[in-house]
Amino acid sequence: MKHLVHVPLNRQQLELLDRTVARGAAPDRAALLKLALRSWAPAHRATTPLKETGR
Amino acid sequence: MTARTFVAEWVLEPGTGKAIEVLAGQVLRIEQVDGGQCVDFNAFNLHDYKEFMHCGRTRTVHGFNPSTGTFLWSAPPRERAMFYLLADTVGRNDVLFPRCSAYVYESTYGFSAHTNCHDIQAEAQREYGLTPDDVHDSFNLFMATDVLPGGAVRISRQDSRPGDHVELLALIDTLAVPNVCGADVMRTSNFFLKPVKVTVFEASADDLARVPALPVLTSQRTPKDFRNATIKADRELRRDPDYEPTFLNTPLSVTEVAVELDDDELALLRDYEHAPLYRGDPGATLRDIFFSWWEQQYVTSPNGAPTVTSSSSPTPADERPQP
Repeated sequence: MKHLVHVPLNRQQLELLDRTVARGAAPDRAALLKLALRSWAPAHRATTPLKETGR
Repeated sequence: MTARTFVAEWVLEPGTGKAIEVLAGQVLRIEQVDGGQCVDFNAFNLHDYKEFMHCGRTRTVHGFNPSTGTFLWSAPPRERAMFYLLADTVGRNDVLFPRCSAYVYESTYGFSAHTNCHDIQAEAQREYGLTPDDVHDSFNLFMATDVLPGGAVRISRQDSRPGDHVELLALIDTLAVPNVCGADVMRTSNFFLKPVKVTVFEASADDLARVPALPVLTSQRTPKDFRNATIKADRELRRDPDYEPTFLNTPLSVTEVAVELDDDELALLRDYEHAPLYRGDPGATLRDIFFSWWEQQYVTSPNGAPTVTSSSSPTPADERPQP
């Protein structure tokens, strides 16, 4: 099943996405957001002990 | 290898300070004579006193106790490295505490008049036409401080010895103002005030070669970039009736990016550790995930520190040196 999620971003945030896409990280904004989700979220589940990243 | 060239030297007696022109490429050494003496320090751009050292930025970038290999920064919007900390034989400096002031000694100790860093700084800066309002938060050399669990802050006794020193290499022309901290009734200088020696040298080639390259960014603005570059010269604040706000990038219009997720991806979103902050808003949750991921991937230095190389381009995590 597919679920459509709408991510509100201001023009500055979009600029960052677009620059990252231009670097070749992903083909478009939506793909970049999915890449982040797939890369980041598995290690940051609510049940996962919090890890200090230093930032 | 080239040697440093001696320029000038002073011994600052307890209760005093000295405004010293330290030009780009010169080294200011602040040295213990008897040991155990805190030294407060202010610094200004010699050609524009409105640019001055900013402890807030310095502590954000380098932590509460800057030491060898760090920079002393000027305040926004200039945000330039004013000094590079070449040497520090003790390693206990502070950018957490403010300068001590007459108020402290009156309110806490009952003194109607007592040496204090604010007034010593003001008197030293007066040689260059500055006023007591121009004294800024001090870089406190040889001051041992800690942040305790829970957030309280503490000053400890210090153990600097005769000859211990801090060396600051000026990266721009500065007016540097060290003063012997006036706190003789506190543990800051182990309950007694002692002289300190201050020496200026022309830096050696080796000194200059030790300074890491910093990027020059367009956000480092100077008065030529200001909408109002005129220094206000009277004390009363009055509204400008012709003022029209021109805040950068405003209005910050918002666009929604549609992302199609499968069941597994939606589950990742719902299970995200910070999802409760967004009260079931999947878009806001995915936004948090994106920027968290981006920071990990591309931010090379924490807390707004510049990338200390010849390039300011973000570097992917897998190309970064390991911490």
